[in-house]
Amino acid sequence: MKGFILPAGALLSISFIIVLVGFLYSDTRNWASVISKSLGRLPRDTVIGAFPVDINLTIQLILLTELLLFGGAFGMYFTIRARFALWPPAGAPILDDFIPRIQTLILISSSILIEWSVWQLKRGKDKAFKAGLVGTTVLGSLFPILQFGYEWPRLLLNGILTPADGFFGASFFLLTGIHGAHVVAGVIAYLFVDARAFMGQYSPKNHGFVEATSTYWHFVHIIWLLLFALLWQGSRILG
Amino acid sequence: MKLGDFGPFVIFAAIYAAGTLGLPRISFLAYQLKIGEMASAFVAIFGFPAVLGLTLGQFIANLGVEAKPIAMISPVISFVGLLAIYYMRKLSTLAGCLVYIAITGIWLTFTLPILNPEVSSSLAALSAFAGQFIAVMVGYLGYLLARRTISSPTQASVRHVPAIPSESNPVATSGLADGGNVPNKR
Repeated sequence: MKGFILPAGALLSISFIIVLVGFLYSDTRNWASVISKSLGRLPRDTVIGAFPVDINLTIQLILLTELLLFGGAFGMYFTIRARFALWPPAGAPILDDFIPRIQTLILISSSILIEWSVWQLKRGKDKAFKAGLVGTTVLGSLFPILQFGYEWPRLLLNGILTPADGFFGASFFLLTGIHGAHVVAGVIAYLFVDARAFMGQYSPKNHGFVEATSTYWHFVHIIWLLLFALLWQGSRILG
Repeated sequence: MKLGDFGPFVIFAAIYAAGTLGLPRISFLAYQLKIGEMASAFVAIFGFPAVLGLTLGQFIANLGVEAKPIAMISPVISFVGLLAIYYMRKLSTLAGCLVYIAITGIWLTFTLPILNPEVSSSLAALSAFAGQFIAVMVGYLGYLLARRTISSPTQASVRHVPAIPSESNPVATSGLADGGNVPNKR
């Protein structure tokens, strides 16, 4: 198995880096014009379109690498879990799911809002598009604030669950940590999208990056649903 | 399924999974009413991404609440039922919903006594059919409301902006398919 995992991991990392470099190369193509405009070298009403316009292949490759990453993480979780007759193992706490419920609600609301926002952009409703986009960014940023600012400290500082508490604690923090990092990446991407939207770079015909970011966001959302079902809900009943 | 359909797919999966896992459970006889079932009728509006989304949502929800492997077959049965709504949407969405209730009701009548041996077959049948009927019909009413809102005259907001005549585009078009018929005003 080791002979397979290491090359697969290396392939995954290399693919991700290639996609990222390619994307950044494409993305920065209009930056010279944007800077020129901000310095007043171009007329104020100059419209600079965002690059890349068509991002389907890029986002498909990114999602593939993400799928492999999370597939490996969930594979690890199920492999460990299958070795235990009882799950969560004896002594593991029953986790309060109040905050994760709020986080789920946040992600559903943000997913619906960004879909609505993209739809508004395609209809040429620029104000509604920007409002939806900002709303999504605000909702999205609440998620890591709740996770890393409240839920994790509550579990760790009160000694309810720590990564040192056996396989359950380790897999809990690993999975929610990887996911949380992806949410933070999504929020950063949305901040870029917001900035470009307010520079007027998107139009009904140029919305590739907005759609790609929303697709990534939906992916992060679906991973959360699996985590919520497995780590909070499933841990109460499945044995 | 296109990449653009990913959003509706995830939203429907989330509605089903979070509606079942995150909201308070509503017991009806021997059955737990599932809020996510209310989204079934919306397959007629959102199409195949909604079918796949609701199926995945049910799978995730069952991963969280059900205790036996047989519950993992339920999403496949629901998928068949949702396909009925999808393919019957042009004929009658209500008929599609009734077929969905019939398919899932029969399956639940079979599985409820397995998941809970204290439940008799007759109680399981009554709970499953009535429970599914209530959930899906509430959703159907929502669907009718949504369809009415969609088909109301908001179409007027889609404007046809005339093209600006220029050297490279001497014929100004009205934005319609036969725009070339509009005379060029210079």
